[in-house]
Amino acid sequence: MLSWLGRLGRVDRRWLYLGTVAVLLVPFIVTVPMPPGRASKATRGLYDAVESCPPEKVVLIDSSWDMGSQAENYAQLECVVRHLCDRGVKFVVTSIGVTPLAPSFAEQVITPIAERAGYVYGRDWVNMGYVQAGGGAGVIINGMCKDFHAVRPTDAYGRRVEELPLLGRVRSIDDIHAVYCITYSPTPEWISFVQGQYGTPVAFGCMTIMGPSYFPYLDSGQLCGMLVGNRGAAEYEELVGHPAKGTQLIMAASFGNCMIILAAVLGNLGAWARRRRERRPA
Amino acid sequence: MRRAVIRLVTFVGGLFFLLEFLLPERAPDWAGGFDNPLTPHLTDVTNFVIIVGTMAFLLGPINLVRSHVSTILRRRKGLLDSAAFLVFLVLGVAAAIQHFEQEASLLYDVLFYGVLFAFGASSMAMLSFYLVSAAYRAFRMSSLDAGVMMLAATVVLLGQVPVGDWITYSLPEWLHLKTWAQWVMDVPNNAVQRAVLIGACGGAFAAGLRHWLGLGAREL
Repeated sequence: MLSWLGRLGRVDRRWLYLGTVAVLLVPFIVTVPMPPGRASKATRGLYDAVESCPPEKVVLIDSSWDMGSQAENYAQLECVVRHLCDRGVKFVVTSIGVTPLAPSFAEQVITPIAERAGYVYGRDWVNMGYVQAGGGAGVIINGMCKDFHAVRPTDAYGRRVEELPLLGRVRSIDDIHAVYCITYSPTPEWISFVQGQYGTPVAFGCMTIMGPSYFPYLDSGQLCGMLVGNRGAAEYEELVGHPAKGTQLIMAASFGNCMIILAAVLGNLGAWARRRRERRPA
Repeated sequence: MRRAVIRLVTFVGGLFFLLEFLLPERAPDWAGGFDNPLTPHLTDVTNFVIIVGTMAFLLGPINLVRSHVSTILRRRKGLLDSAAFLVFLVLGVAAAIQHFEQEASLLYDVLFYGVLFAFGASSMAMLSFYLVSAAYRAFRMSSLDAGVMMLAATVVLLGQVPVGDWITYSLPEWLHLKTWAQWVMDVPNNAVQRAVLIGACGGAFAAGLRHWLGLGAREL
């Protein structure tokens, strides 16, 4: 028995890799009926912020992600944009400092949803493109809060703000109802400059592994809401009644997490058996 | 002289942002009721920061080109890697210019969506394999502390995904894995994160002050 258990500690890592691929593929091949369950306080906070947006204000989305964190950030942007379009809330998209590829990734997600909802570019939503933040994102954020047009005089295509009707009514932070920043690890400078200085609600969408860093801000009320990984996206999709990519990907994460636990259990059993055998008198 | 200029610009820049942020938008009536005199200049200074940051973007490629060209000319180790870097740098710039001038660009699509996109997504996806391998090889319950950590990790891993809900579905809500995972996040995790944040902010404040006052000689 001990020798059999001892073998568990010597499994070739390639078998583990193969097992990982197999379990991650399951949700893409068969539908596993496992709803994400009740929404957490963090997810509901963002949902409530979008729901409470008055018609004269807009939501600012800072979408600063690319292929590296697409697996989680894609669904986080998709579900919120769908909710905004369903409610008829207008929105402005920025990409501050993280990756120059961010505007094109945001566009890939937003354009089909906006077109389906009858949203017109320039009138109902605008993509302001990438801003280099060499001196720190805080400087750009602080400047945008005070004079949006001066810091971003053109959109992602080089069109002047005067040509974009939506931006006629977005001049400073006073015209923005809430800010939602989606990236691998959102900068807390949004909290310092937007929530701290003006009281405008700020929400984050981050990778699962970064979630624990932001819970203190949520607990203190400095963040009004947060989508943590695909779990947050799946809960949001459940709230808006439109299961999509987040719901599908959370199942892959489910099986992936189980695989990690299984690997740890196998490794520990193997190590325990080896220790027992070594202690036995020869 | 060079150091003195850098120190002066850093100090004046830091003082501007500090005072603009700390002073109220409008002074109280008893103090004259005037507007913050720095705020009207904030946009210009912010744009200046963006321009300087964008110029710094160029420094990276310039330094890399110098280093890799030198490797090729002196036929040092890694010659092929340097050549590959230069080829892709030229191709990347050409693709970006082509994409800027015309909407549809095959070179841009191949380089960014075919190569860069695939590399970026794949390198992040590799993490899942490393995680499983690390859990198998290194996550040992060799002490009570390690056992507690493993228990907490298992609760959080399962509590964050629907499988955890499914396992504890029939139990009362206070026994749900999701409830326990949230408790781990809200109580022990928050306490630790706050402690780390307070320490890190103190360090960042001290480092910022040294930069601002030009006390760190190495940075210059």
